[in-house]
Amino acid sequence: MKTRRDFMRSAVLGASATWTLPGFIDRTFAELGEQSRGSATQFATGKDDTILVVLQLAGGNDGLNTLVPYGDDDYHRARPTIGKNAKDLIRIGDGLGLNSSMPFLGSLFKEGGLGIVQGVGYPNPNRSHFVSTSIWETADINNRSNTGWLGRYFDNACEGVDPTVGISFNKSTPESFGALRNPGVSLSSPELYRWIHSGGQKAQAEEFFSELNRPEDEAPVDGGSIDMPAGGKVGGVVGESNLHFLERVALDAQVSSKKILEIAAKHRTTVQYDGTPIARNLNLVSRMIAGGMATRVYYVSHGGFDTHTGQVNSHDRLLGQLDSALKSFFTDLKKQGNDKRVVLMTFSEFGRRVKENASAGTDHGKASCLFVAGGGVKGGLYGSYPSLTDLTEGDLKHTVDFRSVYADLLGAWLKAPNIGKILGGDFRGIGMV
Amino acid sequence: MLPKSTGKWTEAEARHLLNRAGFGGSPQEIATFHGLGREKAVDLLLHPTEPEDAFRLPDWCNREQALADARMRREQFMDAQKSRSGMTASEAEAQRRKAFQQFQQDNRRNSVEAQGWWFNRILKTSAPLREKMTLFWHDHFASSIQKVKQPVLMMEQNRLFREHAFGSFKELTQSIVRDPAMMLYLDTQRSSKAMPNENFAREVMELFTLGEGNYTEQDVKEAARAFTGFQLNRFNGNVSQNAAAWDSGEKMIFGKSGAYNGRDVVNLIFQKDACARFMVGKFWEFFAYESPLESAMEDLAKTFRDADYEVKPVLREIFLSREFYGEKAMSTQIKCPVQYLVQMLKELEMDSAPMGFPIMGQTQLGQVLFMPPNVAGWDWGKAWINTNTLLTRYNLAGALTKGTMAGSMRGRDGMERMGRLRELAGRIAKGPDFAKIAAEPERNDTEALVDGLIGRFFCVPIPEKARQSFIAYADSKKGVSFTDAELGELCHLMMSTPYYQLC
Repeated sequence: MKTRRDFMRSAVLGASATWTLPGFIDRTFAELGEQSRGSATQFATGKDDTILVVLQLAGGNDGLNTLVPYGDDDYHRARPTIGKNAKDLIRIGDGLGLNSSMPFLGSLFKEGGLGIVQGVGYPNPNRSHFVSTSIWETADINNRSNTGWLGRYFDNACEGVDPTVGISFNKSTPESFGALRNPGVSLSSPELYRWIHSGGQKAQAEEFFSELNRPEDEAPVDGGSIDMPAGGKVGGVVGESNLHFLERVALDAQVSSKKILEIAAKHRTTVQYDGTPIARNLNLVSRMIAGGMATRVYYVSHGGFDTHTGQVNSHDRLLGQLDSALKSFFTDLKKQGNDKRVVLMTFSEFGRRVKENASAGTDHGKASCLFVAGGGVKGGLYGSYPSLTDLTEGDLKHTVDFRSVYADLLGAWLKAPNIGKILGGDFRGIGMV
Repeated sequence: MLPKSTGKWTEAEARHLLNRAGFGGSPQEIATFHGLGREKAVDLLLHPTEPEDAFRLPDWCNREQALADARMRREQFMDAQKSRSGMTASEAEAQRRKAFQQFQQDNRRNSVEAQGWWFNRILKTSAPLREKMTLFWHDHFASSIQKVKQPVLMMEQNRLFREHAFGSFKELTQSIVRDPAMMLYLDTQRSSKAMPNENFAREVMELFTLGEGNYTEQDVKEAARAFTGFQLNRFNGNVSQNAAAWDSGEKMIFGKSGAYNGRDVVNLIFQKDACARFMVGKFWEFFAYESPLESAMEDLAKTFRDADYEVKPVLREIFLSREFYGEKAMSTQIKCPVQYLVQMLKELEMDSAPMGFPIMGQTQLGQVLFMPPNVAGWDWGKAWINTNTLLTRYNLAGALTKGTMAGSMRGRDGMERMGRLRELAGRIAKGPDFAKIAAEPERNDTEALVDGLIGRFFCVPIPEKARQSFIAYADSKKGVSFTDAELGELCHLMMSTPYYQLC
C-alpha cells in the first residue's frame, strides 16, 4: 500500500538539497515526479540483483587458529599449548589447514565457492576492540568518519527512500550503517518488529498510531534547531534536531515494519537451522530474501571471539557454530534458487597475538583472515600468509588492506558507482567476485 | 559565571530541572518541587537529606559477609585441590568445572540482585541528583560486571560514586586509581615494574580527565610506570601498594620529571587546564545539550578550577543559568533507557517496577546498569534510537500500561521472548492504578482528560494535531464506557510517539 506520505517521502528524500534544511519535510514538493519511484532498488541494478551479507565475528577472531599454517615450525613454537597439528585440520593448501570445526567451509573451499583472504588488516592497527571495530565499520583508518562504509553506499548508490535498503539483525544499528540520509533498519525479531496493540478495536488504535508516527507536514520549520549536532557515529543529518530525527526513525520503523512482517510470514524454510543466535539470524536473512525483499545488504553478528583464556575450546566451538549456520544458510538459499545472488563476507576487528599467553589464550593482535562465500565468488586463497617471524610488536603484519576487499564487494558485486567516494580513496579490488 | 536565569520560575522549568537533574516525577511531585522556587529547588537537589546508606544493601554486599564468602570459597578451593589428588585427570577437570559453574551462578544471581537494587534506588530515592550523578560517574569511569565478575566489587564502586557524587572530582579520581573493580577492569593489578600496563594510564588521560590531544604517547608510557605497584587481593578486595613492584625511577610527564607514583600523576593531571575544560563539557552535555558554546565552557571551567574540582558549584551554576532553561536545552534530550523506564514508572505513579521489567527493558533498549559496553561508556543521544529500539520502547510502554503482549503473537523466532513477555504481562496484570491517574468522573470530559495526560507525560509541546488525535481517540471510546482498560490504551498511544522519547 502506497500512502500519500510514502510518496511524499520518496519525493523529498530523493532531493538531497532538502537534507540541509532543518525540517523533516520540505513543503515545496519541488522534486515530485521523476524521483518518486521510491522503492529500495538501486539505480544501477534491479530488484532481483545481488545481495551482500556482512557477518561480524565480534571480539577479535584468531586468524592463526582459523586458517592454520601448520607447516610452519614458528607457529608451533609460538603456540605450544593451543597450536593445531595437521591431523586436526582440513588441509587446503601447502602447509595450510582450516580449523576442523568447519567442515562445511572446507568443502565449499574445495568446490570453489569460498574465498579466503589471508593477512587482512590496515596500516597502524589499533588493538582496542571498539576503536578497531569502528575502523572496520567506517572504513576510515583515522577513525574520524561519522558514517559507515555501507551507510555511504546507501547514500551514494541507492535511489529512493525505502528504509529497508539495509537490514541489521542487531539490536543496535551497526556503525557501518551510519548514513547521512538512510541508515537502513535494525530489528531482532520480525514478529516483534511492529507496534503491538492487542486491546479491543485494534484497527482503530493502529490508525491513530500511524497518524501519530508520521511527520507533521504542516509543522513550522524551526530555525532554532539548526545548530544541533549530527548524531555521532550513527550518521545523521547535519543540523537535524533530536525531534526530527525521532520522527524520521518512527516513520522508517512504521514503513518497514509492515513489509518485514508480511515477508517474514511468507516463507517457511524446510532446512534445519541450529538454535544459536547466528543461525537464527541467518535464517531471518534467508526468509527476507525468499520473500522478495528488495534489500541489498544484510548485517548479522556472531560474538565471543575475545579468547584471552582457555582459547581452544571456545574458539573451536564458535567456529563450529559459524560453520553449521552457514551450511544451513547456503543450503536454504540453494533450495530457493537464490544462491547465485548472495555473497557473504565475514570480518573481525583484529586477529590475535602470535604467541599464546600464560593462560592458554591469546591477546589482542593485528592481522587476521576473513571469508567471502557464495555463488558469485571466485574461490581460493587471496593475499599472502603473513610471516610469523617478521612481526610488528609481536603481531602479524597485514598483506591485504580490508578496504580492497570492500572495493570488490561494492564495485564488482553491488555495482556501486563512486567507490572512491564511498571508501575515501582509490582502492582496487582483489578480484574475488 | 554563566548568566543567571532571571525569568519567572515556571512549572515547565521545574519539570525540566527534575527530569535532567533527576528522573522526572508525577504531576504532584513536580508541583511540590515547583513550589520551592528556583534556588531552593536547586539547593534541595544538591543537599539531599536522605542519608547515603538509606537503602539496605543485599546481604552479600556486607563487608563481613563478603569476606566470609571469600574465605569459604578459598577453603572449598583448597579442599578440592586436595581431594583431586586421587582423581583421574578427567574427574578432576569435571570437579573443577562444577565448582566454577557454581561460582558463576552465584555471581550471576548477585549481579541481577545488584542491578535490581540500584534500579529500585533510582526509582525511590528522594535524592535524585545523587543517583543521576552516580549514573554519570558509572558511565564516565566505566567498568563492566562482565569483566570484573565480582558483583560485590561493582557495588563497592557504586558506593564510591555515590559518596563522591557531587564532591571532589579530584578525590574521586584518586580513589578510582585504587578501586578494585576498576583495577580488574583495566588490568592494573597485572601491571608491574617489569611489564607496565598502559591500558589504565591511557584511559585515565584520554577518557577520564584530559581528553584526546592533551597528552602524548610518551606521557602515557611514563605514567604507566608510575601506576605500577598497586596490588589487589582478590580474596578480600584489599588494595595495597607494594614498594618493590613500583617503578621508582625518574619519569618525564607533561614536561616535568620526578620519581612519580600514581598519586603524583593524578596531581599532575589536575594541574593542567584541559582537565577542567574537558569535564565541564561533559557535565553540560549530560545535563543540558550537545555541542556547548566554547565561551560558556570557559566560564564553567574557571568555576571548577576555583573550587578545586568540587563538582557542586559547577552543577549549581548550570542549574541556575539562563541557558539551561533556553530553547536549546528544554525538551530536547533523548531519554536514555534508564531515564525512559524510571520516568515512565513515575509518571504512571507506580512505586515499584513489575518483576523482571527493569532488566528486560534495559537489555532490550541497550543500557544495562553495571554493564556499559566498553571503557568509553555508552553512546548517548541519537545512538539510543533506531527502528528496533523505538518500537521496543513503544511496546514496553504497552506492556506496562495494559499487558498488551498477551496472546498476540505467534511464530517461532518471537516465541521465546514472547513467552517471557507474556509471563511478565501476567505478573503485572494490575498495571498502574488508573484511578490515581484520572478518577472516573474526570473521564467524561475528554478534552480535559487528554490535556491532563499531556501534562503528565510530555515535557515537549506536542503539535495541536497530535492533541486532536488523542481527543478523537478518547471520544471514540467514550460512548461505551471509559474503563481502566481504555484509559490504558490511551496512555499507551500517547507513549507510542516520538515526542514521548524526549525530556
